[in-house]
Amino acid sequence: MFHIRFVLFIFPLFLANGGAIADVLRLGTTTTTEDSGLLAWLIPAYETKSGDNVRITLGGTGQVLKFGRNGDVDVILSHSKSDEEKFVTDGFGVARLEVMYNDFVIVGPSDDPAKIRGMTDPKQALRKIFDGKIVFVSRADESGTHRAEQKIWNDLSLQPQGVWYLRAGAGMAEVLRIAHERGAYTLTDRGTFMKHKKSLDLQLWVTGEPKIPNQYAVMAIDPKKYPKTNIAAAQRFIDWIVSPEGQTHIANFRIDGQQIFFPNALSRK
Amino acid sequence: MTDATIWDATRAAFGLLLSGDMELWRTIFISLRVSIIALLIATPFAIWTGYVLATGRFRWRRPLIVLLQSMLSFPTVVVGLILYLLFTRRGPLGDFHLLFTQDAMIIGQALIAFPVLAAFTLAAVQSADPRIRETALSLGANRWQAALTLLREVRFGVTASVLNGFGRVISEVGCAMMVGGNIAGVTRNIPTAIALETSKGEFAQGIALGLVLLVLALGVNILLSSLQGRGGVK
Repeated sequence: MFHIRFVLFIFPLFLANGGAIADVLRLGTTTTTEDSGLLAWLIPAYETKSGDNVRITLGGTGQVLKFGRNGDVDVILSHSKSDEEKFVTDGFGVARLEVMYNDFVIVGPSDDPAKIRGMTDPKQALRKIFDGKIVFVSRADESGTHRAEQKIWNDLSLQPQGVWYLRAGAGMAEVLRIAHERGAYTLTDRGTFMKHKKSLDLQLWVTGEPKIPNQYAVMAIDPKKYPKTNIAAAQRFIDWIVSPEGQTHIANFRIDGQQIFFPNALSRK
Repeated sequence: MTDATIWDATRAAFGLLLSGDMELWRTIFISLRVSIIALLIATPFAIWTGYVLATGRFRWRRPLIVLLQSMLSFPTVVVGLILYLLFTRRGPLGDFHLLFTQDAMIIGQALIAFPVLAAFTLAAVQSADPRIRETALSLGANRWQAALTLLREVRFGVTASVLNGFGRVISEVGCAMMVGGNIAGVTRNIPTAIALETSKGEFAQGIALGLVLLVLALGVNILLSSLQGRGGVK
């Protein structure tokens, strides 16, 4: 008698989980897509369309690629071309396709202690912050944004260090909050800044001319490396995000009426 | 993670510790600095509170003791959240620019240590023979002298409370992460560094710091048990 009751009690617990027959897709992506609000816009639309169940793991691009190297995700949406190409040549990624882009901008406190207001060249702005030892928050997490920042310092042959250079090791929204609290400058993707700017005492000072490009790409984990990854679902997601429907959906994402991400998968085919 | 990677990471961890990796030792230094200063701030208030609650006879004594004991299990992330809201630039104490500084971490850890210190002191004083205080008072000691006499009697219990407080704050991650911000070389301490390194897949750094934390905990406990041993002999 006890056994029957036990089974009756336990059985629904399995049903509750086993009830989901949809495919689970493990998406590894970066904090900028989450913090800008894009994922909350894009993923439900994809789930409705495909019937797949998307599980999102967040990190900087470097971190997300590490998840990929360990076979812990099925598909990756990230934004650091050199790191992604190395990932593909090392045999972990397949079917890398560029999806969308926007740009990085330099933001800082309203009183602009580094006097970079009105500057157009992001390199000159960062040099001025460097020379003045004005507090600057770096992502310092091997993310795509961190890579873009490092590239500028490298181009300038400067090595930022000291008490003015704060290495946060955190995601984009967190870094913006640290910059806000400490009255510091930082390099951010435009989308995350737009999303959070109402709660930040930070101004967009240098938008970059030439712009600092921020290109996003998607790729699947090579099933030859990790046979248990869900390559079918990964391919479905890639096919959708580069399709006219997925691309239009990205273009329709708005913050305060402004377009944040610019799809470019179709133009590159 | 396979056994091989655990072994490799552990070996790399010892390498990092022995090679004097600056980043690593700076993190350890920050951890010790923040926790020790926090204890120095919290201890006098906590011992006073514990003593008064143990020896005093006033109306709100019982409820205050219950409150103190329930604060022992107060989640550190909630302490972090409250301090965050107070310290943020748009918060009531925003003008002090405390958020994401070591000072904020010190305040947080002092608040976290306080109930542990006070509750253990309370228990120690309550377990002491009440005649000690009465005798001291009857021999002409004033209230401060009587308190010092009694606290000297239970000094092992009070020391134990300080070491317990240290154990709580040195390993605390939630509040330190929230009000410190985990900034490298500034507010990154051992627990927040372990959380970050593990999420980045840098297991060697994480293991090295974990070893340091274990050694610290072991040291504190050896000290604790040796003190209690001597305390028993008297």
